[in-house]
Amino acid sequence: MKHLPKHLQPRWRYLAVGIESWPDASIDRRAFQRECWYAAQNLLGDPGSARADMTVVRFDFDEGIGEAMVQVRHGETDSARAALACIDEIDGSPVGIRVRGISGTIRAGEENYLGRRGQDSEERNVVFGNEERVAVVCDGSADVRLDEAFTGATDLDYDLP
Amino acid sequence: MYEAVHAHPDGDSTVARLAKTAADCGYEGVVVRNHHDSRAEYDAERIGEEYGIDVVEGLEIRAADPQEAGGSVGNYRTSQTILGVHGGTNAMNRFAVENDKVDVLAHPMADHGDVNHVLVKAAVENGVRIEFNLSGVLRTSGGRRVRVIQSLRKLEEIVDYFDAPYVVSADPNSHLEVRTPRELRALGEQIGFSKAFIEAGLTEWGRLAERNRRINSESFIEPGVERGRYEEES
Repeated sequence: MKHLPKHLQPRWRYLAVGIESWPDASIDRRAFQRECWYAAQNLLGDPGSARADMTVVRFDFDEGIGEAMVQVRHGETDSARAALACIDEIDGSPVGIRVRGISGTIRAGEENYLGRRGQDSEERNVVFGNEERVAVVCDGSADVRLDEAFTGATDLDYDLP
Repeated sequence: MYEAVHAHPDGDSTVARLAKTAADCGYEGVVVRNHHDSRAEYDAERIGEEYGIDVVEGLEIRAADPQEAGGSVGNYRTSQTILGVHGGTNAMNRFAVENDKVDVLAHPMADHGDVNHVLVKAAVENGVRIEFNLSGVLRTSGGRRVRVIQSLRKLEEIVDYFDAPYVVSADPNSHLEVRTPRELRALGEQIGFSKAFIEAGLTEWGRLAERNRRINSESFIEPGVERGRYEEES
């Protein structure tokens, strides 16, 4: 079909989103998109979800840290922000989601808000709570592996053996 | 704006990690509100300096009945800046709002708890802040979330009518559950709270901490009576 004339094309806003989880989490684009739709539908209802029309257009997630770009209808950014805030788990892994900024084009969003991946994380033996543990250390933060789960800490909390 | 957090061992992240995340999110401070049976060990000043955020020492008293809670409130009042009471049952809700040593009645509507005009009037009289806990909106779904939102709206109607003091919190248990003030405002708007309402509730934690620090400082004797400069000179 012939594409719409420019003044009839939908106007979009792009939400640059930072995603954070524990180091053992693996999240793919499809799962994130599904959670976006569920969150929007649960919070905004079917009409609100249709109005916001959230689509994941960029996605990258690796070793517990990731980022994404979510396309939203112009004027619905606030409701999309609220829906994103309600995503607390993706595929069973708890996630922290933060909107870093909103742009009018994908390129501007990528330049301004994405691709700021800090240094790579490394595994290190640390002493946390008087016991030696393995921690995934990255940029001053450390996820310490306890018996079953992780504990979020920073370099103030552990000593090096 | 401040956020009130449950830190390790109550939650999954240490005070330092929560403070670091909250600072990144644009909060001015964090209030540690671990339950008094799983208190966190931390150096508030050092963490605050490291991440440029105000770390407020607090505690949430969790007790089965008012007698037990009464003892704990007396024990911890002098050492903690902000003292909350784990609400949710009618007996504990009533205990908290009738006790002027308590600063915050936490999540009064959780676990089928309820609040009425009598309790809110008592809260106004004793200056007890009633908490609007958004954790149920953020982290549950379906019928349970519907009930959480209903109870929050009911609470808001009563609190608004009596102009009662209140605080708002997303009640994070780990650094992953921290949400920025802007996201909480957007969420509030979706469930029927104005942006100004959410913002005032987040700011109230900071005002409360400031007030209690002044009261606990050595120069404060009683309301209206403070040790001034003139004593040093004589």
